[in-house]
Amino acid sequence: MEAAVQPKSVYLEEFEGRTDVGPEWLDTLHERGIRAFEARGFPGAREEAWRKTNLRPVTAEHFPLADSQGVAPKELIERLGDLGDSYRLVFVDGRLAADLSDLTDLAKGLTVTPFSEYDGNPPERLVAALGARADIDWQPFAALNSAFFVDGAYIHVARGAMIEKPIAVTHVVTAEADRRAVYPRLVVEAEDGAEVRVVERFIGDDQAGALVCPVSELSAGRNTILDYSRLQEDGVATMNIGTVNLAAQRDASLRGAFVGDGGRLARLDLVADLEGEGGEIDCNGIYLTEGRQFTDFHTWFNHRVENCFSRQRFKGILQGRSETVFDGLVKVFEGAQKTDAVQENRNLVLGKRALAHSNPRLEIFADDVKCTHGSTVGELDEEALFYLRTRGISAEGAQGMLTLAFAGEIVDMFRVSGVRDHVRRVLMRRLGVEDADIGEIL
Amino acid sequence: MALLEIRNLHVNVEGAEILKGLDLTIEPGKVHAIMGPNGGGKSTLAKALVGDEAYEITEGEVLFNGQDLLEMDPEERAREGVFLGFQYPVEIPGVSNTYFLKAAVNAMRKHRGEGEIDAMEFLELVKERAKRVKLDETLLQRPVNEGFSGGEKKRNEIFHMSVLEPQLGILDETDSGLDIDALRTVSEGVNAMRAEDRSFLVITHYQRLLDYIVPDVVHVLMDGRIVKTGGKELAKELESKGYEGIDEAAA
Repeated sequence: MEAAVQPKSVYLEEFEGRTDVGPEWLDTLHERGIRAFEARGFPGAREEAWRKTNLRPVTAEHFPLADSQGVAPKELIERLGDLGDSYRLVFVDGRLAADLSDLTDLAKGLTVTPFSEYDGNPPERLVAALGARADIDWQPFAALNSAFFVDGAYIHVARGAMIEKPIAVTHVVTAEADRRAVYPRLVVEAEDGAEVRVVERFIGDDQAGALVCPVSELSAGRNTILDYSRLQEDGVATMNIGTVNLAAQRDASLRGAFVGDGGRLARLDLVADLEGEGGEIDCNGIYLTEGRQFTDFHTWFNHRVENCFSRQRFKGILQGRSETVFDGLVKVFEGAQKTDAVQENRNLVLGKRALAHSNPRLEIFADDVKCTHGSTVGELDEEALFYLRTRGISAEGAQGMLTLAFAGEIVDMFRVSGVRDHVRRVLMRRLGVEDADIGEIL
Repeated sequence: MALLEIRNLHVNVEGAEILKGLDLTIEPGKVHAIMGPNGGGKSTLAKALVGDEAYEITEGEVLFNGQDLLEMDPEERAREGVFLGFQYPVEIPGVSNTYFLKAAVNAMRKHRGEGEIDAMEFLELVKERAKRVKLDETLLQRPVNEGFSGGEKKRNEIFHMSVLEPQLGILDETDSGLDIDALRTVSEGVNAMRAEDRSFLVITHYQRLLDYIVPDVVHVLMDGRIVKTGGKELAKELESKGYEGIDEAAA
């Protein structure tokens, strides 16, 4: 009998034949990444965590690494200013765009550096942190990222440094990355007692049918405040499948603001680890879909030690024939007593043929805990709409008003004012609310 | 010209005919009261006049200032000057009372071809009108009706009316659930708005509201029709004799 030869994946073939490998110090991680991917492969149709995510558009063809940097059109460049005053690091098609970045006058204690700038001499901290959190054996898209990424952003905040001005890392995908893969990478480390606000944003050309697989690893040291906003606003043809790891040490306060309104297919696996007593991770998210968009938030919140707090509040607004998934886990490990975990997912279905899935999951292995969860899928309240109209508000205005009010509860939680204002504008545009009075409700 | 003219109005709710040929004319500056037993069609009339789609008009016409009211969307009716104080005011989570009213005021001004109201002017107006109905100022910033007590909700309806200044104020059982103090305050709010060019249609089950808002005309609505019309003394009569006698008289 002949032993069957396991065929190589197209990604392994690509890996073996590639010439564009990035800095040499990434070699080890690249190797680990491709091996993990080759062992794992793409998720099968029966894998519970991937059952509702239709990966056919991803697996049906090969998306080779975008090997050159396209030119970002003016409309995209203009959007870099959306978030107001911030330090700015911009990647175009996975590669640093120094001319679009602005890191002048970095505050004391703050490091913001693209990996490519380190040549052969990266800080040990970065080497240790890179890939330390993302589970590439479990998440094949993180494995692909680890195999192929050529650049990324490293943000480090020294012990006790308070950084008020947000740091915006923007990944721009151009039309030249159509049918190609882009692998953005972000590492954020806030050392004990530090405070920092990081915004990671994905935007791109509507013509770019690219596969974007970002991996972001953020770690909040003792007694830190780390505020992370992730704005997934890709072009309509793009697929964005990413992972985010948040880890909080003792007394750390980690806040997440998540917005998903771009791309034809978007999925985020958000892993949150509470690793030190008194830590808290508070994530608020809003997803806004239209047409045939598919957006999927899978969260994995792990209470590993006692006396921690976590909150997940995600709201969806679905228009057209779009489909969304919120699948959220709270896992309380043995011994993690006095855990306080809140999970809430509310969906507002505006499109008659839109479909929202909501699946809360609790796994609790401790007996003195408080875990609450709520999940709803509903439409706008007809009585409320009518009531508003009898006071002179138009039907569209009333719909916009109620929808903005629904979103407002989440948007108000976003701590970075530039993000908050931006999301308000996005909401008003998407909901067709022209009346500034109605927008004021937010 | 009459402000409101209802001719032979028939209205179905979920397939059942509730109003069966109702006629009613209201002249400018007048306060009309509609009384009658539960299920007679009082609230149906109110909802039909403001365009609730659950109330299907099968026959008849309604003219407001000579215009066909039934052709208008609910918001158009409001902008033309029709206001309904709801029997059960709706809670609007996340929408502050003040912002909501500002949007409403500006929608009406736009309809009249006027510019947006000045922010300071609006705030002063809102404060003054809130005081008039003794509406707690903290309720101005709160989401519309959310967490309001029954009495606060009714007060809030009158407050909205006094800010929006309609030509026709329809009050649907505004008195239900109000204690005597609240009843007096709400009534004073309404009375302060009485004017030559403004009319009211006060729908109530009980006579006691009409001690405070004294009507010019009282109608009795039973089984989908106006069966009796009289002056304010009719309300007193109903209070002492009940509706049974009327029913027989009308039959």
